[in-house]
Amino acid sequence: MEAMDLIVTAVKTAIIYLGMVQVVPIMLIVERRGAALIQDRPGPNRVGPFGLFQPIADVIKMMMKEVTIPRQVNKALYLLGPFLVLFPASLVIAAIPFGDFFTLFDRNYVLQVANIDVGILYVLAIGSLGIYGILFGGWASNNKFSLIGAMRSSSQIISYEIPLGLAACSAVVWYGSFSLREMVSIQEGTLLGVLPNWGIFYQPLGFLLFFIAAFAETNRLPFDLPESEAELVAGFHTEYGAMDFGTFFMAEYMNMATMSGLMVSMYFGGWHLPWISDATLLQWLGSRNLLAALQVLTVIVKIAVFMLIFVWVRWTIPRFRFDQLMRLAWKNLIPLGLFNLVLTALILYFKGAA
Amino acid sequence: MRETLFMVFSLFTIAAASGVVLSRNPVYSAFSLILSFFGLSGLYLLWGSTFMAMIQILIYTGAIVVLFVFVVMLLNLQTVRENSPNLLFLVGAAAAVWLFSLMILRVLTRAIPNKAVEIPTDQLRAISKLLFTRYLWPFEVLSLFLLVMIVAIFAITRTQEIPQGGEKK
Amino acid sequence: MNFPLSMTYWSHFVSVAMFALGLLGFLLRKNTIVVLMCIELMLNAVNLLLIETSMRTNTPEGIILVVFVVTVAAAEVAVGLGIVLNLYRMKGTVNLDHFKSLQG
Repeated sequence: MEAMDLIVTAVKTAIIYLGMVQVVPIMLIVERRGAALIQDRPGPNRVGPFGLFQPIADVIKMMMKEVTIPRQVNKALYLLGPFLVLFPASLVIAAIPFGDFFTLFDRNYVLQVANIDVGILYVLAIGSLGIYGILFGGWASNNKFSLIGAMRSSSQIISYEIPLGLAACSAVVWYGSFSLREMVSIQEGTLLGVLPNWGIFYQPLGFLLFFIAAFAETNRLPFDLPESEAELVAGFHTEYGAMDFGTFFMAEYMNMATMSGLMVSMYFGGWHLPWISDATLLQWLGSRNLLAALQVLTVIVKIAVFMLIFVWVRWTIPRFRFDQLMRLAWKNLIPLGLFNLVLTALILYFKGAA
Repeated sequence: MRETLFMVFSLFTIAAASGVVLSRNPVYSAFSLILSFFGLSGLYLLWGSTFMAMIQILIYTGAIVVLFVFVVMLLNLQTVRENSPNLLFLVGAAAAVWLFSLMILRVLTRAIPNKAVEIPTDQLRAISKLLFTRYLWPFEVLSLFLLVMIVAIFAITRTQEIPQGGEKK
Repeated sequence: MNFPLSMTYWSHFVSVAMFALGLLGFLLRKNTIVVLMCIELMLNAVNLLLIETSMRTNTPEGIILVVFVVTVAAAEVAVGLGIVLNLYRMKGTVNLDHFKSLQG
């Protein structure tokens, strides 16, 4: 039975990880077609029906290109850079819960790579490591644009980690748990009989802060200062080509997916469908594993909605200037985050007293 | 199993820590520092303190070393010329080695139970309860200290005059 | 002596070795930033010992002390690097030998 557990866990991990990697090609086409839609142009539509095979062509192109190493770079750190970005991006996925559990051979397995009891801390901790790839990659490129991109990235990510952490703190205080799994389980049911019992209705300000900070953490457009192509050529990855560049690209999309997964678990009820409790669903479906499949589907759909919002925002809101970016973080988001934390604590205090 | 893993992490941590001291290039030093903090976090994890392991990565590698790397890259330092071994250098090295041998002797001669101890999981609730009851005052003083530090940093790093054409805040 | 040694032994060994390495770097290196890193090494050596004792004897006080140390370390690094930045602005170097005019 021990060996069975090990095999099931390994297969589960592989499936979740490979599934998350599929985000990259899907987002490649969604982003390009989405941009085209917003900018009122056709977009890539030549390869396959509706241009659906475009990502395959893109990937083949990137894989076939020669990996060139510029002469002036610091070789070791230059080659390490992309992997330092991809490594944390892949690790973080382990903490996202995709569903309750499934049953196989009379044993229950959680639909999550690892049920870490300090899940949210794990995500924040590992997520904050992604910056090193950008920093070392940008520095090792020995190019002033890369270096400026790396410098911007470090100050930006350190600044936005604070509102992100404060929002997460409020959520932790509210749910009384560090575990993402427990947070999701609390969100079952309805609020006042009308609204789904989701975190967003209890922590609207926290969600807003988290949402804004998530864009900065993933270097997405209103805050893509580290790579702003209009100012810095391509920022920290100016000197990278072929699959090294592709790795940065993959990491960005995987980070987006994780951030979306985090928001879904913390504020949008995770695997719960609105208004329908798991027990009723189980009655309708009659099978635990069918319910698990439905839960996974729910989480995927919710994550997909967030990914679409990421694309939508990217092509709608212009880039911030660097001082505006810093002012937003330090003068607006952080005070709001502190206020939200105190407010949450006060509400809980008076709720406990009543 | 746990002991072997612990040994591997220990050796890794020490190797990385010596990398910090021995590398000429401060960027490599910072990189070794990251690795050694990672090793430490692994050690905390093996001791059962998941919380501290995460805090170690979140605060040390995620924030403090980023500051180091940021400053090193901002100043774009070439390697600072180190001293050739002179008398002072030898005295310093001797002092460190002396202290090391003293401490290691103490560790080796003390009767430490050389058996596998039962690893408890950390009791986050107990810790936080203590932090907000018995140790409330130190905790509050700490927050005051942080406030003072923030003001101090602003005072230290503030450039004296606003540069020409710079935006006034 | 049975092998592998217990986790307690290894923790003490790592702690002492890290502290000594930090001290060595603190005394010998001339790059101010590396000196600050070495201070971090020493603080972490102490942290490891605290956590080891705390977990072995099951007393939460050790962890609380570590939380305090981490906070102080973070503040110390921020202030230290601020001072280094200022010194660099004044002297154009971070070599400790050039900061001798700071003495009394």
